[in-house]
Amino acid sequence: MATAAGFDFRRWRLVLLGGLLVGIVLFAAIFAPWVAPYSPFDLDVAKMLQGPSAAHWLGTDELGRDVLSRAIYAARISMQVALLAVTVGLVGGTLIGMTAAYFGGLVEQALMRAMDLLFSFPAILLAVVLMASLGTSVLNAMIAIGIVFIPGFSRLARASTQAVLRQQYIEAARSIGMSDIRIIFREILPNITAPLMVEAAVAFAYAVLLESALSFLGLGAQPPDPSWGNMLSTGRGFMAQAPWLSIVPGMAMFICVLGFNLLGDGLRDVTDPHMRE
Amino acid sequence: MIRLVLTRLAGFVLTLFAASVVLFVTINVLPGSAAKSALGIHATAQAIQRFEAQHGLDRPLLVQYAEWLGRILQGDFGTSFQNGVAVGPELLKRLPVTLELATFAFIIANLIAIPLGAWAARRHQKGADRSITFLATILGAIPNFWLATLLVLVFTLTLRWLPPGGFTPFTANPMMNLKQMIMPALSLGVVSSALLIRIMRASMLEVLSTDYVRTAEAKGASSRTIVFRHSMRNAFIPYLNVAAVEFGFLFGSVVVIEDIFLLPGVGSFVLVGIINRDYPVLLAGALAITLFVLTLNLVVDLIASLLDPRQVKARNA
Repeated sequence: MATAAGFDFRRWRLVLLGGLLVGIVLFAAIFAPWVAPYSPFDLDVAKMLQGPSAAHWLGTDELGRDVLSRAIYAARISMQVALLAVTVGLVGGTLIGMTAAYFGGLVEQALMRAMDLLFSFPAILLAVVLMASLGTSVLNAMIAIGIVFIPGFSRLARASTQAVLRQQYIEAARSIGMSDIRIIFREILPNITAPLMVEAAVAFAYAVLLESALSFLGLGAQPPDPSWGNMLSTGRGFMAQAPWLSIVPGMAMFICVLGFNLLGDGLRDVTDPHMRE
Repeated sequence: MIRLVLTRLAGFVLTLFAASVVLFVTINVLPGSAAKSALGIHATAQAIQRFEAQHGLDRPLLVQYAEWLGRILQGDFGTSFQNGVAVGPELLKRLPVTLELATFAFIIANLIAIPLGAWAARRHQKGADRSITFLATILGAIPNFWLATLLVLVFTLTLRWLPPGGFTPFTANPMMNLKQMIMPALSLGVVSSALLIRIMRASMLEVLSTDYVRTAEAKGASSRTIVFRHSMRNAFIPYLNVAAVEFGFLFGSVVVIEDIFLLPGVGSFVLVGIINRDYPVLLAGALAITLFVLTLNLVVDLIASLLDPRQVKARNA
């Protein structure tokens, strides 16, 4: 269904839909002080647990704070955590995967067995145990989630590097005496970024979920800082009187995760048409 | 076949040993915090020193690990820093709760995923396929702890059909046990089915495009015969591998869901261990979950080999 301009809408529709949802969340996160109608910390006990109204579109919480404003500011924490966690996982995993594939032999065996080992822990358990060791804070949540992602990225980077290593231009680079470091960063890295970026989009969604789960358990962002996880956790205590306190943060998580998942799926379809079916 | 089993068993033991090292080092790498948590933030330096000496926390990490491993191998998981309760028996008491929850959730996930995945593959690129794929995308984006909250909102607070939480053993009162387990199991199972639908669909699509299925179609075999007799068994091999990983994931996800529904399982045990920095509790809980996941992967790997004799032949060649 190509248009006159040659743009294949069908091929790009998932990327566009995912991008739109992600764009809304990112816009809210970046421009929170301008977008949010109130400060997320402003208490007003006279207005506590009020339902949605013209003044407070998504109601108020148990301390009279505006739920919409808190949900908007919470997008900041989620995006910050996800961005740093995915960066930690992407950089760590890519370096390990490329090194393993490039040098092979014992180096590869040692590195990939270590990755298999990390992979054998359920992700949430590993994140929770790491948080126990590092202590509860947003920064530590970023590091813990990032470590959880390293094995996945390393496997992908290794497989992609192995494919690139079979290409003639790598042989050519070796024959003209290019150093290993130069070959890895100048010749291999640029050629394995496409699959890694697709994986990064999916990891972003998972990072948002993990951060919310950690905050929900009281191990991530600490009140009064708003995060979707801790908003939901607090909201559960008022479910009978104020169900919106449980619905709003969950809906925000859902939109964000759906956006990144659609974006990841769409990018995979676009970069590798064989993957679609 | 025996060689395959022995190789897999050796790998399993090695991985478990390495996992125990990782867990122990991760949890014990920061000194001092266990004593402060057990004694309170106002504990004096002497009290902290005494606590650490009493529990052997002042010795080198390697010595602590060797002792801990020695005790674990004899079935002694130590005692809780917080209340002095023996961790091993407590863990055994909690294991059936988590196992029931994860199994129940896994059954729900498969009941959704297998028929929908197979149906989507059979109706490839038609309306049903597109709707099911879209449904899988939606389900995969729902945080399981949010779904749990919504279920409580609807079935407990609004309709008043189900209790908000708690646990009654199946043997004591089967009906109450099911009533208490259905919402936690649905929260985990429905979300997990998203990935399994996609895997089932992909596995079936691959099998349906093979020559022998096309031959069966050409010979006029019915749709039912093609799906159930010729395709399902072969589609199950890759499906089973992913499903096992997902079962392990379910077992790990119980940390959050058990907390919501006040279920006294291994997950809530781990959480209590973290919040109180009760290292023997945390270590035992985390190790139990890891042991379960690794065992599951081992069993599935072996079953997959049995279902597909080509794998054994390939390995022995």
